[in-house]
Amino acid sequence: MAIPAARQKTVIVGGSIAAVTAADSLRLQGYDGSIVLVSEESVPPYSRVPLSKGILAGSQDPATAYLPALPADIELRLGARARSLDVAGRLVTLDGGERLPYDGLIIATGARARRLAAAGQTGELAVRTIGDAQAVAARLRAGARTAVVVGAGFLGMEVASSLVSQGVAVTVVDADPPLERLVGRWLAGLMVAAAREHGVRFSRARDGVRLVGDPVAGIYSTETGVVEADLVISAVGDLPNVEWLAGTGLARQAGLPIDGCCRVAPRITAAGDVTVRAIGSAAGRRTPHWTSAVEQGRAAANALTGTEPATPYVADPYFWTEQFGLNVKISGQLPSSTPPASIERGTDLSSLVAQWVTGGRPVAAVSVNHRMPIRKLKVLSGVLG
Amino acid sequence: MRIEAEIGRCEGHGMCAHVAPEVYALDDEGEVVLLHPDVPPELAAKAEAGARACPIAVLKVIR
Repeated sequence: MAIPAARQKTVIVGGSIAAVTAADSLRLQGYDGSIVLVSEESVPPYSRVPLSKGILAGSQDPATAYLPALPADIELRLGARARSLDVAGRLVTLDGGERLPYDGLIIATGARARRLAAAGQTGELAVRTIGDAQAVAARLRAGARTAVVVGAGFLGMEVASSLVSQGVAVTVVDADPPLERLVGRWLAGLMVAAAREHGVRFSRARDGVRLVGDPVAGIYSTETGVVEADLVISAVGDLPNVEWLAGTGLARQAGLPIDGCCRVAPRITAAGDVTVRAIGSAAGRRTPHWTSAVEQGRAAANALTGTEPATPYVADPYFWTEQFGLNVKISGQLPSSTPPASIERGTDLSSLVAQWVTGGRPVAAVSVNHRMPIRKLKVLSGVLG
Repeated sequence: MRIEAEIGRCEGHGMCAHVAPEVYALDDEGEVVLLHPDVPPELAAKAEAGARACPIAVLKVIR
């Protein structure tokens, strides 16, 4: 799918890190055609990382999350939502009817928060966009003192941590034991203990949760009964934004399948949270992390320009979280129930570096409250040689 | 063109050095080190891309 270099048009649909990295990568690869970024958000590209932390807590100016502005030769269209794609005609149609022709298309429409509210039920909070985080901050300023956070993954736990830092009494509810599916039993135990020390209550709701009230004023589950709260925040995963691709045959409900080089179809590549890595004919895994978005953004640009042979992007299984005074960095795949093979403790009580070994080979490494070059952690995890 | 790093806010994820190793490095504490006080023009686009890859937006591009 090589595109000749002369005055070509590339449209990138999306306005987050995958889209921004794709735009930067096109230029770095020598592409000198036009680039238009189409973002439905009204604010410039930003990082979601601080949303669940300082911005939600109201202690950090939302503008500090903005990424450095794109150069003038990349056109950024804000408040522009893609409505449909015509693959044969090579056209993206925006809400409002404007049509953008392209020679190459990069799809990076991301995902949106999954919600639990019934149709028409108002007042459910989530933390996906800068506006979502500001809405929670506004409720805190208005005097909210109690919260139920539904979902005990990274996002839910970070939200809980930020809320307790503001003096809010927090209950975290999940169908599964907090964090275990993500980081295994050992690390989850350590992190949940820190959360409990900070006063967080945990409840199990094995058959799911229903939001009660309109506006929402609590949750109900068979195990917990009704739990009332000033704030009910859902952190129950996200849904890939693929609806605008209806009729193209490209997308599935689980996401937009890409191959190892981020290719979708001739002249179309994709990156970031909207994608699912196709494994054979099956829709494979989603990897909605910052590092994946960057790797995929680069690969999606590369596969489109074809200035270098399309090479599969190398997934970097690195992610991190900050909660309850713990700064946790994780490289590799943490085994679900095995404790680390070695733990090196630092001078500070909470600081450690742990390594997991399976069949004589390192498979994962974690640092907690310990600063080290990230390369070292990746080597310890077996991800880098 | 210059890059400014907000010292103390860097969390050491290393995305800048990953995207633009000619411009950024990490020290032994995992803190970002700028390899060029003034970025030479041929590295400007790379430096910007590296700055935009920072997940906590601590790198500022001064044009």
